Order: sequence, then C-alpha cells, then structure tokens
Amino acid sequence: MTHPGFESQVDALLDGELTADDARELEAHITRCPECARLRDDRLALRAAITAGVPSYRAPDALRERVRTAIAAATSAEMRPMPRPQRGPLGALWRPMALAASLVIVAVGSWNLALRQAQSDRLADAVLASHIRSLMPGHLTDVPSSDQHTVKPWFNGKLDFSPPVHDLAARGYPLLGGRLDYVNGRSVAVLAYGRRQHLINVFVWPAMPGQGNVPDMRDRQGYHLRHWSTPEYTYWVASDLNATELQDFVRQLQQAIRSDA
Amino acid sequence: MLPHMDAAYTLARYWTRNEQDAEDIVQDAYLRALRYFDGYRGESPASARAWLLTIVRNTAYTTRKRGRVDALITEFDDTEHSLAAIDDQPAGVEVRHDAKETLGRALDRLAPEFREVIVLRELQGLSYKEIGEVTGGPVGTVMSRLSRARARLQEALREKGER
Repeated sequence: MTHPGFESQVDALLDGELTADDARELEAHITRCPECARLRDDRLALRAAITAGVPSYRAPDALRERVRTAIAAATSAEMRPMPRPQRGPLGALWRPMALAASLVIVAVGSWNLALRQAQSDRLADAVLASHIRSLMPGHLTDVPSSDQHTVKPWFNGKLDFSPPVHDLAARGYPLLGGRLDYVNGRSVAVLAYGRRQHLINVFVWPAMPGQGNVPDMRDRQGYHLRHWSTPEYTYWVASDLNATELQDFVRQLQQAIRSDA
Repeated sequence: MLPHMDAAYTLARYWTRNEQDAEDIVQDAYLRALRYFDGYRGESPASARAWLLTIVRNTAYTTRKRGRVDALITEFDDTEHSLAAIDDQPAGVEVRHDAKETLGRALDRLAPEFREVIVLRELQGLSYKEIGEVTGGPVGTVMSRLSRARARLQEALREKGER
C-alpha cells in the first residue's frame, strides 16, 4: 500500500461507517486509484469468504440446560432469607424475577420480530448498497432527465411493471432521472431526486400481496432509509438528506402518489 | 428461554477456540448478567445483546488473565506461525485444504483482541460503536484492529491461493 491510512478507510466505507460526504469522496478516489480499487475488491472477496467459511455457532442444548439450572440455583440462593436490611425480601426477589421476565420478553418479542426483521434487514441492506453504488460517478441514472414523460416511458419493456414517476421539482425536489436496479431478487425501478447537493433514491416495485408491509424507518451510518407500501407498490427511499427534509420529501411523494390513484 | 445465547456462545467459542471453555464462559457470563442486571439500562433487543456480549467478552478476558485457559491460547506470532510452517505437507501428498479451512485457521491464529472484532463485525453485525462498547475501547482502535485482522486473513487466503 502506498497510502496505508486508506486501508481502514476502505474498510469503514464497506462497513457503512463513513459519513455520506466521506464515503462519496473515497468512492471518487477509488475510481481513480487502482490500488485502492484492488483493496476494495480484495476486501469484498474476503467478506464473501468469511460469510461462506466462518460459521456462527448454536449454543448446545446441554449448555442452555446448565445455564438455566445455574440461574435457578443462584436465584434460590438469593431468595433465602438473609440479613440484608438495605434490601427487603421483595427487593431480593425482584431482581432475578425481573431478569427472568425481561429475558423471556426479549426472547419472545425478538423471535417474531427477528423473523420479520431478518427479511426487512436484508432488504434495507440491499437498498442501502444500491444507494451507495449510485453515488459512484456514472451510476446514478440510466436515463438522466428531469421530465417524467421521458423517464416513465423509458422503463417500458425493461420491467414487468410501469413504475409511477412523479416530478416534484415544484416542491423543491427535482427529478434527476431513472435507472434499473436489482433488489430483493427482482428488477426494480429507481428514481433519483435531488435536493441541493443531496441525492434521494426512490426504489419502486410491485407490492407482494400478503407480505407484511409495515412502514419502516431506519438510519444507518449517516443514511436514512424509509419504507412503505401502497396496495400497488412497495417503496424504499434512501438518502443522506437530513431526516426532517427527507420526511417532507416522503410526504410530498406520498401525496403525489395518492393524487394519482 | 435464554436470549442471545447463540451470539454469546459464538463469541466465547471464537475467543477460547474451545467448546468446553466457551461453555464455561457463557455460564459465568449469564450468572454475572444476573448479578449486574440492576446496572442494565438499555431498552431495545439490540442493546440487550450488546450488553450481554460485553459481559461475555469481559468474562472471557478476565478468565484468560487469570490463566485458566491460558494454555489454550497461543498469541499470534509472525515468526513462529508462518502459514508455511504449519501447512506444509510432504511433497506428493497434496492434501487439499479448502479456503474455508485456511480461513478458519488464520482466524484461530489471530490474537483474541483481533479475532473478536472480526466475530463481532462479520458474524454479529455490530457497528464500530457497539464493538467499541463491547471491547471497551475507542472506535479508532476498533477500526485499526479490524483492518489489521482483515489484512492478516487476506494474506492467509492469498498464500493459500499461491500454493
């Protein structure tokens, strides 16, 4: 490496730990620097190798049993009457019971959540990755146009659906263009909007009936992701725009979608 | 029902590289968690996991300090543990190790402070900030350890590819 400091920066980029500005700057550098590009590719290959080859383990049942027994023993030891004036018998009881209760709540709550979230996490990852990719030079749009009547027909024949395209320039979010991307195992339409120097990517694909379409909101490493569905389409929005303005954008877009329907 | 036990066991397992020690550490850690529960202020399931992993990690760390599993942990040493020295097979008896095995060994050979950042980041998906909380260090240290650990693993894969 001629610039060793970049190694951890590239790692931070791939880990999604850079601010949007730093990420963009480094991505621009990578396109000019074969050495950093190679490092990035090596790291991506390593990540794939780790995913494929370094397992997570499942705790053995015997261990679960052991821990349960140990906790029970510790709990009953604590519940034995002891000369502890500062902590009444209820206090002594409360602690292990609260722990047990909270562990159960966390376990049960996170079980259902975990199933739903795993799917939604994967999706959010894919959307975020695509968003970051789009920030690289030349990746933002396949059809650069601020005219919805140019962008919408461009998707004809490229997708098995005709995505709704809205021009929000009058509301302060000019349309920059559209592109095709591949998310969630299917081709999707992406519409790029601008706000000052910030970019907003809107991902659209047909809603799957029966899928839990819970609106979602998450912030990851300086990027904001917003998700909702209409009966027709699933929307994901990704941007580095501040949360307040992005909320406004989402509201404007939803309004435009509703007035369409 | 004991939550996060797979995550706890996985971390302990990679820390100690030994099933029995990993089980002991998880058990200790859950008992400690019981004792420290008053100090727990987090709310989300995610922070409960990080909190528990912190206890697992500290348990593993102090256990090692006390020397109980010392014999099982050999620190990474460039000179002693070059891959060639370990992986050499007699000529003609080409035993094909796949990349998976190579990677597993390279990971084992890292010092636990480096191995844990890989496990926490790649297997458990923690953010740098969360990893810093679990390992009790600043984010800068997390970054540099992660980079160095990855460089080592990459090196191992590359050497493997060349042979």
